[in-house]
Amino acid sequence: MATSPETKKRLVTAALLAPASLWLFVFLVLPFIAIVVFAFGERAPEGGYQPSFTLEQFANLGARAAAFKNTLLLAPVGAFLCLVVAYPVAYYLAVKASPRYRLVLVSLVVVPFWTSLLVRVYAWMYILGARGIPHLLEMIGIENVRLLNTPGAVLLGIVYGYLPLMIMPIYVSLEKLDRRLLEASADLGAKPLSTFFGITLPLSLPGVMTGVALVTILLLGEYLIPQLLGGGKVFFIGNALVDLFLQSRNWPFGSAIAVTLVVVVVFILLIAMRIAWRFAGTRQVDLV
Amino acid sequence: MSKDYKDNLPISASGFMDEFMRLKRGSVSRRHFLGITGLGLATAVMTRFPGALSTPAYAAEDLGTQMSIATWPNYHDPATFENFTAATGVAVEVNVFGSNEEMLAKLQAGASGWSLFVPTNYTISTYQKLGLIDELDMSKVPNFSSTTQNTRFTSEGQIDGKTFAVPKNWGTTGFAVNTDKLKTPLKSWKDFFEIAQTEADGRAMVHDYQLTTIGSALVSLGYGFNSIDAGELAKAEELLIKVKPHLYAINSDYQPSMRSTDAWMTMCWTNDGAQLNRDMPEIAYILGTDGGEIWTDFYAIPKDAPNKAAGYALLNYLMDPTNAVKEHIANGAPATDSRVIELLPKEITSNKIVYPDEASLTPLEFGAAVTLTDPARAELMARFKSA
Amino acid sequence: MTSASTNDIEFRSVTKNYGAVTAVTDINLTVPKGAFLALLGPSGCGKTTCLRMIGGFEQPSEGTVLIDGREMNGIPAYRRPVNMVFQHYALFPHFDVEQNVAYGLKQMRPKLPSAEISRRVAEALEMVRLGGFAKRRIHEMSGGQQQRVALARAIVNRPSVLLLDEPLAALDKKLRSAMQIELQTLQRELGITFVLVTHDQEEALSMADVVCVMSAGRIRQLGSPQEVYDRPADLFVADFVGKTNRIDATLEAGGITLRLRNGSAIPAANRAVASGDAIVAIRPEAIRLTRAATADLASFQGTVTHRIFLGSSAEYAVSVPGLGDFLVTADRRGLADSELVEPGEAVFLGFDPKAAHIFPASSAA
Repeated sequence: MATSPETKKRLVTAALLAPASLWLFVFLVLPFIAIVVFAFGERAPEGGYQPSFTLEQFANLGARAAAFKNTLLLAPVGAFLCLVVAYPVAYYLAVKASPRYRLVLVSLVVVPFWTSLLVRVYAWMYILGARGIPHLLEMIGIENVRLLNTPGAVLLGIVYGYLPLMIMPIYVSLEKLDRRLLEASADLGAKPLSTFFGITLPLSLPGVMTGVALVTILLLGEYLIPQLLGGGKVFFIGNALVDLFLQSRNWPFGSAIAVTLVVVVVFILLIAMRIAWRFAGTRQVDLV
Repeated sequence: MSKDYKDNLPISASGFMDEFMRLKRGSVSRRHFLGITGLGLATAVMTRFPGALSTPAYAAEDLGTQMSIATWPNYHDPATFENFTAATGVAVEVNVFGSNEEMLAKLQAGASGWSLFVPTNYTISTYQKLGLIDELDMSKVPNFSSTTQNTRFTSEGQIDGKTFAVPKNWGTTGFAVNTDKLKTPLKSWKDFFEIAQTEADGRAMVHDYQLTTIGSALVSLGYGFNSIDAGELAKAEELLIKVKPHLYAINSDYQPSMRSTDAWMTMCWTNDGAQLNRDMPEIAYILGTDGGEIWTDFYAIPKDAPNKAAGYALLNYLMDPTNAVKEHIANGAPATDSRVIELLPKEITSNKIVYPDEASLTPLEFGAAVTLTDPARAELMARFKSA
Repeated sequence: MTSASTNDIEFRSVTKNYGAVTAVTDINLTVPKGAFLALLGPSGCGKTTCLRMIGGFEQPSEGTVLIDGREMNGIPAYRRPVNMVFQHYALFPHFDVEQNVAYGLKQMRPKLPSAEISRRVAEALEMVRLGGFAKRRIHEMSGGQQQRVALARAIVNRPSVLLLDEPLAALDKKLRSAMQIELQTLQRELGITFVLVTHDQEEALSMADVVCVMSAGRIRQLGSPQEVYDRPADLFVADFVGKTNRIDATLEAGGITLRLRNGSAIPAANRAVASGDAIVAIRPEAIRLTRAATADLASFQGTVTHRIFLGSSAEYAVSVPGLGDFLVTADRRGLADSELVEPGEAVFLGFDPKAAHIFPASSAA
């Protein structure tokens, strides 16, 4: 019996999806299952994991309350700062920039991604360090300014590091925006600012929410920037996880924190999607 | 301002890349930083040609054609392995690690494939307890000479009178001080924590590593480096949390900050202290008169080593002073074997940072296995960092 | 608002360049209050540019646009007393129908009371017969309904001029005819000036009371639909507005006689040229098609090659030796026996020379 075209189509689809599905299963689903299993286990006396079924790790989450609090504060504040800086850039690129230079300008936004974040953050350590800006300030008579290892340096690093991730989705949604809607708004008597808040901003909200969700989620796991530009004096979930897995080798507790973090991320995503749907007036919005 | 500002600006592209590559190689902070950034898991294959061409010089036993070793970044003279391969026909695959914890996890997971590895003193008892290493058959390491070894360093390799590991090199954990910036002479960990809150306010660094940070705080209060006594730990916690707002950073990657003079004072390991002092003579390396850490890295052979014969052959090769001396010249860490020290150039052995007086080593303690894995200390560190 | 002028819109020597490209050249145009003007022309003729200069989306490079007697140069769109129905409507997708219509009212300063806004929105929706649709989302509406929302959104602000940019282009034929009538009615009810941009001559002729035919950035003719159709100013207008047969000819005897290419001569009337080579333009419906010879001053014999049956009338393609193909629209009652002529039949074509227009041959595009 010959296979029907319908079956054939399905087989082809399955064959095309198989590598990605296998990859996701082996490198995402399986590790996650392992982490969930670990989270209900116990720490072995010499560190690592010992099979057991206990809620002890979850009951102990309070011991990292400060890490959760710092992270849940930093992530949205960082994402918001990114947004404030990114929106005008995206707006300029999508609406104001001459189409002739647009591609070049958009590439410039992406180019930093070609080098490792570590190298770029390290560069900031120099710029903010004693021989960078403070040294230049000394030459005009302002002595002993310390920029590195301050909360300001961390926020700067975060905005710097995550800016492209925020710019791109906003740029895409602004570029898709029908210019005639802006003309229609002006035609109906709306001043530029009213047009922006009444039309442009709401219609670019899917992009904004994608950017905010993306940056927030990544910030929830951020480790390098606070460590290098903040001097490791502020403790985030990322730091807690590194310490638990690589130093004290308390895998079950680390797993419990990781599982909790995943739950928080899913929760944030759901909220962000809901907001985007409401504003865009349609469910045809994909986040992340 | 008489100097050109460029003299002090290290932001030249080449300078930056040098610094970054140094960081990446892991010579900055003795391996800790590598582990957490994930840069340390790189595997380098030194030589891999089949041994058919060379005739094994001492082939009493079949050594095979290949073995692998787990060690620390930038810790060996690459020529050592090439020479070993030339002599025996065994190609050596080198795996570098970021932390003892990672090394332990990998060996515990099984099938590591190593026939020799380089654990630090405080992990050896754990490896032995978990049955991951065997007692060494010293008859296969004739180049090892117990009489020329400093017993201060060999003892951590002995458990119940049996030798499980032999020393590679040793070092200390003291602190580095920029004497241009800080005029008060510092002698002890007590001084360190006091000055950190006063003259060096906002300019002192401690490790992001509970063993040394909590250990040094305990020492400054007159307690033992390895204490897990709840009352003593509570006192140390109180001190650390009081000092924290005055700290510049909690970070084991302290060389860049010391070099840029952002930080004026830091907890410091021997090799870093020597490097900082070599490049910036105003930075002094000080061992606390009230105590501190001393450490040794050992060679050991995993129980499940796939090529034990080659592992022993390489170990024996490395115990030959003429081979070992090249290793010490390459990595800069002090040697434990007097035969090696005799072969070292004078400018190395006369460096008081690398080879301090015996007397200054007396108050120092080896880190203990229980200290490293104690959950109470881990939680204390987390509270300190999140305070 | 007291009017400063009897004209709602005035173009004074307006030229618009985009870089090196000139979109419109030296446009002079006045639109009296309450007129329904159609800017008609092929795409790229500059009609949309003119509309956008009235709306304030483009500024003239030279010259002045006046609305209600006031110069508008430099005044942005949001300060102009005009509203536009955009091509494809440009409705705000994130608002429902009511919010779309209320948008303009909400921009007014001082602010209008919300009761006033609701009342006027409801009124405007009634006017476009969308009474029950206030809470609908835009993507739930059909094309015709969206078109009405756009209309309501524009008229609710009571502009002195309503601009319509190809408003019916996206509708199907039947809906288009219905909307044509509705737009005319609406214009009469509101009593405000409408400016319509279209490339569809039928739309322009059926709705507007003034038609402005444009081509290549210039105005070719301005007049009532009847004037433009019956007395085209040039060959372009004759061609673009309605269908036209073109006959090559030469003016002879001081311009009194036209010599056609088949050798026949007819009297010349409606001359736009004195002598030399000329083109005779004659509407298809001005030609009589008969089976027997006619007494017309211009009469030729030919053969029907194609027929398109249109119900009350029929279009024939007739090949005349020496003159080429003619398009003839024949009213069925015009034929003596009211029988359709079959392709292949020999027929006679005749027309009154007074119904033809003679243009210089050099104006042929």
